[in-house]
Amino acid sequence: MSTVNRIAWGALLLFGVFVIYESVQINYYGSDFGPGPGFFSFWLGVLVIGLSVLEIGRSFRTCEPLPAGFFPDRTGLVRIGYLLGALVASVLLMERLGYSLTMFLFCGFLLRVLGRQPWWLTLVLTVLGSFGTAYIFRRLQVILPGGILGI
Amino acid sequence: MESFQHLMGGFAVALSPMNLLFATIGCVLGTLIGVLPGLGPAAGTALLIPITFRLEPTPAIIMLAAIYYGAMYGGTITSVLVNVPGEAASVVTCLDGYEMAKKGRAGAALGIAAIGSFIGGSVATLGLVVMALPLARFALKFGPPEYFSLLLVGLSLVMALAGKSLTKALVMGVVGLIFSFVGMDPVEGAPRFTFGITPLMDGVRFVPVVMGFFGIGEILLNAEKTLENMVAGEVKVSSFLPRRDEWRICASAINRGTWLGFFLGLIPGTNSAVASFMSYAIEKKVSKHPEKFGTGVIEGVAAPETANNAYANAALIPLFTLGLPGSPTIAILMGALIMNGLIPGPLLFQQHATFVWAVIASLYIGNVILLILNLPLVGWWAKLLKIPYNILVVFILVFCIIGAYSLNNSVFDIGVMMFCGMLGYIFKKLDFPLAPAILTLILGPLMERSLRESLSLSQGDYSTFVTRPISLFFLIVTAIIFLTSAWQALPSAIREESKEAQV
Repeated sequence: MSTVNRIAWGALLLFGVFVIYESVQINYYGSDFGPGPGFFSFWLGVLVIGLSVLEIGRSFRTCEPLPAGFFPDRTGLVRIGYLLGALVASVLLMERLGYSLTMFLFCGFLLRVLGRQPWWLTLVLTVLGSFGTAYIFRRLQVILPGGILGI
Repeated sequence: MESFQHLMGGFAVALSPMNLLFATIGCVLGTLIGVLPGLGPAAGTALLIPITFRLEPTPAIIMLAAIYYGAMYGGTITSVLVNVPGEAASVVTCLDGYEMAKKGRAGAALGIAAIGSFIGGSVATLGLVVMALPLARFALKFGPPEYFSLLLVGLSLVMALAGKSLTKALVMGVVGLIFSFVGMDPVEGAPRFTFGITPLMDGVRFVPVVMGFFGIGEILLNAEKTLENMVAGEVKVSSFLPRRDEWRICASAINRGTWLGFFLGLIPGTNSAVASFMSYAIEKKVSKHPEKFGTGVIEGVAAPETANNAYANAALIPLFTLGLPGSPTIAILMGALIMNGLIPGPLLFQQHATFVWAVIASLYIGNVILLILNLPLVGWWAKLLKIPYNILVVFILVFCIIGAYSLNNSVFDIGVMMFCGMLGYIFKKLDFPLAPAILTLILGPLMERSLRESLSLSQGDYSTFVTRPISLFFLIVTAIIFLTSAWQALPSAIREESKEAQV
């Protein structure tokens, strides 16, 4: 766990450096209205770096074992990959294909591949999750993208 | 007396057919969220915000508040019937609730939970009525320095109580604050952390972040395991009332749970799980037969369920009067208020009195609706649990996508939700608490504004925070909280290190 913690706090340390770098690019102080837009974020960046250094130092002095099941097994990783892949695809396709078609593909893929549902149930649930939800939410006056086909 | 007159006016608004309908819908949806595993009240409330977009502020907030306390009750049903807590506050209810169900007394467990929740929630709402105006009037004396220092108190409590590690809680609070700075600077209009991406000019909205952290993050975490159906066999629910000899024990447990939940609700940083665990511990302590706890004693259900509902209603007191959210779900309600153009705090009672009293009155009504609705519908809720998780998860994701998109009709927000989902998953794996990040994300703009207004008014003189007595008092309280937390963390850290050195 100590190595994992060191990596996590190291990433946060870099984040703190990045926040300070960005903060000094904008007006830190000296405007007529007191502190500038970069003032608060600058000091927060300093705080992140301070806490990260403290925890990295601590991680060298203690040795925490990794909790059981910390890293998912191969099947777990595949499932996470499917979910993230489906989400990324939905972001990329939403404007082009529209909500209903994108969600049709999204639900169909996840129900069949991840959920291992039979074809008939996949089809029924996919229609419900895509065209069904589009119908309900449009009735509730929620605007959803129509895409090139306008559906 | 004045408060009660306002409350009567509030009832007149809250009892209108449309508001009653929205309170009922909110209770049903909230219970549904509480029943479904993998969706807590925070993600659930955020998920359902888009449903309220087209509503007026009063019905919108009435519905969201009903979703919030409905979710608190919904978690109980699964705890009792299938030993799966719908949310953290119901974990302790499993201990005796499920044992009662195994003995064929699920009805009595759910009945006393509903009665206790009703009493706890109603008393806490009464406390809100009594305390609201005096507290709000006191808070009217606050200028920007006092408000900034008060927000520091709230945040320090949240961080101190958020998890096992103070540094992790602190850094999460800071991460939330930095996220809140993305977009145009509120004073000078300068873009910050936008990297030339146009949608970021409007800032990071809290709904996609909350859905990502709590909803997507949880789903990814669950995806590591097999997505099997989590449901047990047939559930038999018979009589909803306790036995005659149990009423006296239940009354005492409900009484203690009410007061404990109420006082914990006033303290930002505590959560309903703390209220239910503490009340269970107290009941065990005062019981004549502590050894029977965990075997299906009714007070083991009555006390924690009362405490968590009293907590849920009392937690609205600091929100409405001081603009201080004590938990992520309350922070989401605060975000919803802000989206409706209503800034929680003392001015709310002056500028939007009709609204705020209608919402308070709706809390009473909501508690009655929950009581009437939930008992007859228990069997129906239990049936919902038979839906396999791998089907449920697809529909939860669809709702997340609609929720994130419809906020601003922007696909970019779906991307933000996905990114925050991955972050939430990593943070959960590493045991970083998410609550401080959500709170600071919502409070960040308010904190920054009050800090910069304070320094502008004092022409850059930082002593303004310590020369004003109320601000100084809040700063001292903040310092005490941080020092106490650091002091408590210190011995264990030293112990750990010396142990390692010996190894």
